[in-house]
Amino acid sequence: MTTGEFESTARLTPGARRGRRRVSRALLYTFLIALLLVFALPLLWALSSSFKSRGDIFGYPPKLLPSPATLDNYRGLLDENPFWSWLLISTVVAVISTVAAVLLCALAGFAFAKYRFRGKNVLFNVMFSSLAVPFAVIVVPLFVMLAKAHLTTPYFALVVPWVAPAFGIFMMRQFAEQSIPDALLDAARVDGCTEFGLFRRVVLPLLRPALGALGVWSFLNSFNSLIWPLIVVSDPGDYTLPLGIQALFGATNRQYDLVLAGSVLAAVPSLLVFFLLRKQLLEGLTAGAVKS
Amino acid sequence: MTAPPPTRAPVRASLPAHAPAKAASPRTSWWMRRQRAVAPYLFISPFYLLYGLFLLVPILVGLYLSCTEWAGLGTPKWVGLRNYQDLLGDHSFWTAVSNTGLYVVFTMAVVMPAALLIAQALNARGLRGRDLFRLAYFMPVVISPIVITLVFGLFFDNEFGLLNAVGHAVFGFGGIDWLGSPGWARVTVVILVLWRWTGYLTIFFLAGLQNVPKELYEAADIDGAGPISRFRNVTLPCLRPVTAFVAVTVLVSSVQIFEEPYLLTQGGPGESTLSVAQFIFRAGFQRQQLGYAAAAGVLLFVAVFALGQLAMRVLGVGRDDR
Repeated sequence: MTTGEFESTARLTPGARRGRRRVSRALLYTFLIALLLVFALPLLWALSSSFKSRGDIFGYPPKLLPSPATLDNYRGLLDENPFWSWLLISTVVAVISTVAAVLLCALAGFAFAKYRFRGKNVLFNVMFSSLAVPFAVIVVPLFVMLAKAHLTTPYFALVVPWVAPAFGIFMMRQFAEQSIPDALLDAARVDGCTEFGLFRRVVLPLLRPALGALGVWSFLNSFNSLIWPLIVVSDPGDYTLPLGIQALFGATNRQYDLVLAGSVLAAVPSLLVFFLLRKQLLEGLTAGAVKS
Repeated sequence: MTAPPPTRAPVRASLPAHAPAKAASPRTSWWMRRQRAVAPYLFISPFYLLYGLFLLVPILVGLYLSCTEWAGLGTPKWVGLRNYQDLLGDHSFWTAVSNTGLYVVFTMAVVMPAALLIAQALNARGLRGRDLFRLAYFMPVVISPIVITLVFGLFFDNEFGLLNAVGHAVFGFGGIDWLGSPGWARVTVVILVLWRWTGYLTIFFLAGLQNVPKELYEAADIDGAGPISRFRNVTLPCLRPVTAFVAVTVLVSSVQIFEEPYLLTQGGPGESTLSVAQFIFRAGFQRQQLGYAAAAGVLLFVAVFALGQLAMRVLGVGRDDR
């Protein structure tokens, strides 16, 4: 391979080759850093603006750093709005959804990966094809059904219909196939383990990275979701965080001061969960796509 | 490879010393013998229960509602296929369809290649800070869409937004009505889509690139292939499975696009950024035309299903899957 490299750049002296490499590296880093700014700056700008007074947010010329910096937006948000109630409802709903989704998906994914049973392929395809059912298709009838059954409380309507995503089952199956040796399962069975005990004591610990990935994914999905809560939740006392911010934006005549403070606070749990479990999430998400 | 279950029965019977004395009742032993056959069904049953209740039933209810006229009160009035007929003649619906088409084409033709390009850059040998870049690019997807659109409001506000302010300061003009003129509003929505989803797709391509065997590149080097020919002859073919996966996902989800245009412009000005999903939302929840909304939903379903199937055929997704 050294000869190959030598031949392809044979006309360049070693020094010139190094120089060319350095230039292309510099270009590469410039490109990546420019992109980094494109992705990060808007968020930092919002963070900075949340400490500006209402008049300064759209002040001209725009100032990168707030001066004078003020906590008024945060105070106004927390004192005059049920921010903590929004946050609590969002968090509780997201945590329940996440725990339930992770368990149900792991169970089903394990079954699809490690058992042979009649109808498995058909059942798997049925499950998988549900990924292609658009949300907009079931939204109207589902809302009608829940409203008729008086089940539009956030803890039911925001949790139960979404608690076993096909995507999660697929992901768990991929992971279980790769990381759970059959021999281990058989050994545990010989030791008298029941099938559910097997799941609890052998499978769950082995699936831990995938559980983390699916956990973040479903927490973020639930915590950030806006459209479905917007449709289902009508009582302001039941508002989730995104709903609360959206309502506040409307109620203050589309003024940015309070909602920016709210946005910053709302982004904190999402980013925290993401950063803590980033590795699992990114690897887990791509595991299904890159499977050889 | 696996031993037949019956051989294990005696082992199991002798084992549970701590188990209750009645453990050998007929029911339990039936369970002990059969559990391995029954367990998978039990394990997948919660999904199918929810699937039936919250997916199949709504689809059937939706099909029924789509043939009725109903404002949410009283009983739905059966109108046959009239809703579908009306939809096909509804100018707004076609506007929504063509806007959605624009979003789909944009995500397929711009967002996906951009993600591939970035992934290619991130895959450079010996790159420092790869994880940092990858994380930063991924961040927009992690944050609530309402927060994202508020942030975009700061930038694209037609009077005081940062873009116009900067444009004014640097170029001496900054009067672009980003959200208020039909053409620019579409551009803004599309920029939001690009900003929000590129980093997400990048990680799939990057994972795919990292799976390309290094020997192939070395072989290409020996053959004297330049970077472009290397990309065409090694990278692209190796990426086919990932590309297919991403393409199908992107297609199916961008046909359903809702949040970006709805939050940024409410579909406006007029209906210039209205998407099909928002059309359904508007008919159902803002105009109380539940039957009409359900009919549009059924059409969207058919479209998504057909496009998904078509893409799977063309791209061969699942062909190498067992």
